[in-house]
Amino acid sequence: MRRSRTGGAVVLVGVIGAVVVAGFGGAVLALITSVFSPGGGGCGSGAADGGTSPAAGIVLGPPGTGEFVGATEYGGPGDPTSGVIGSSGANLLALPDSYAELGGETFETATAMGGLPYLTPLRITWGGHSAIAYKRDIGFGGSPIDGLPRVLDLWWELAGRLGIPYDDGLWSGPVQIERPPETGAGNVLDQSSEGAPALVEPPADEQDPGACAPAALEGAPAALEGAPITPGDRAQLLPSGLAAAPAGAPLAVREIIAAGNQIVGKPYTYGGGHGLPLSEIAPTYDCSSSVEHLLYGAGLLPVDYDAASGTLESFGAPGPGQWVTLYANADHVFMYVAGLRWDTHNAAGPHDGSAGIGWHPLIRSDAGFVARHPVGL
Amino acid sequence: MTVRRSAVALLLTLGAAGCGGTRGPSPAPRSTRSSAIAQAQATHEYPSPPPPPQTATDTALTAAQAIRAFVTAYINWNAQTVSADMRSLATHSVGQARAAMTLAAAGTAGDYELQQGGIANSGTVEAVAPLAGHAGEYVVVTQESTTASNTTAYQGLKPAWHVALATVQRVPGGGWALSDWQPEN
Repeated sequence: MRRSRTGGAVVLVGVIGAVVVAGFGGAVLALITSVFSPGGGGCGSGAADGGTSPAAGIVLGPPGTGEFVGATEYGGPGDPTSGVIGSSGANLLALPDSYAELGGETFETATAMGGLPYLTPLRITWGGHSAIAYKRDIGFGGSPIDGLPRVLDLWWELAGRLGIPYDDGLWSGPVQIERPPETGAGNVLDQSSEGAPALVEPPADEQDPGACAPAALEGAPAALEGAPITPGDRAQLLPSGLAAAPAGAPLAVREIIAAGNQIVGKPYTYGGGHGLPLSEIAPTYDCSSSVEHLLYGAGLLPVDYDAASGTLESFGAPGPGQWVTLYANADHVFMYVAGLRWDTHNAAGPHDGSAGIGWHPLIRSDAGFVARHPVGL
Repeated sequence: MTVRRSAVALLLTLGAAGCGGTRGPSPAPRSTRSSAIAQAQATHEYPSPPPPPQTATDTALTAAQAIRAFVTAYINWNAQTVSADMRSLATHSVGQARAAMTLAAAGTAGDYELQQGGIANSGTVEAVAPLAGHAGEYVVVTQESTTASNTTAYQGLKPAWHVALATVQRVPGGGWALSDWQPEN
């Protein structure tokens, strides 16, 4: 795990533990000594893009597209407390094309980008070119950067390869990130089962009726079909654009996801979907009508509810919820459901992960929005 | 049950019993099993003889050889060859694997993005291991790289490990062929 700006001692203990457990102690120290010594890699002279550094193997490409997010750098001679072993166990000196997903001290909580699996590739663009990097670490994160959510930490050699000036592990700024296409014949030919829904729904006694605290409103729909199930507590964005609901989520969360799947990819039009009962599928939606359709799907709004985004500033209870959080203001509303963002097309910037109204894999800035959540969720 | 419901139930029971009593035990549906139409009405499927076993060309002498040959072809192609490669694989396999390859051949034949991007895939079979407790099933590990000659979408991506499940079976003639192919990631 990378060094925390807020809990360094804890993380340092973790790093030391990881090194000891891995049995790498001596080797890593030797490696640190050799690399960080003046003759061992020339950190101070910009070894990250030097010809002999492993970082030289990072292929630079033209600028990518995607979402702008806040990033920091870590590691290197000015930041020795970050260590060189990622939380995945990888030696970052040998694998410099590494990044850390921020947000917490465990894999389950460091989910600022939706909880990406280890080795998830991202195309990261900065300064007019891009490079592919792989998730091999996690970290705490912190406050927004230039108004953008702080979601990832770039290993210093990766940052250097991109041309980011080394600032003893203290550099921060916006970068653009996107998921590259899936590789391998099975994926290119669309035959891979990855992301497919689980074949078996969890038995009823594994569901948590107690967590479905909001009482179902009269006239609200029963549990909807259409939400495949994925293990765990986080929703998963499927290649089809639909979302798989987490098996561990309350029924209401799964119903919200199922309702979202009903209208994924519908075109956005301002005012679309309004003036119709929420039980109907409208030809187009806007931000508020689509969010309301999802909430209705779980029985959290009456069928005739019809309000603009500003009204949702007072929906439910204040603050983020455990499973569902709405972010609303007078101009826009979007929502997180079990880790996935429900939003309108490119609301967080060009190519932010959806071709229409639907599920988006990456988080966006919530600055200027009021956070609300359904009671009990 | 209310008294009124009890009375109705009693009448229905008596009526049913009366019917049975006057007609005697129902005769066995003697002709049902022998009538294809009756069977179709009952099962919504018109009975037909089982299809002849599928045959495959160029079968392998061993299960492992069949898998390696199939997978090597499956992961090594380019935009110009992929459709023909998948069509060829279909003739070398049976069952679901044949259906999947036929589908892939059809899907890639007119895939504009694949052609326009100059997409190609290459790789090696790193391991083939029998799946414990599942006769005829194997875990296949490959290392593959996807590239594109006319787009930068794949630029910089490292070769990645992939896992698939393969099932083989003996086919007429004694050789082995793939009968099921399921890439897992």
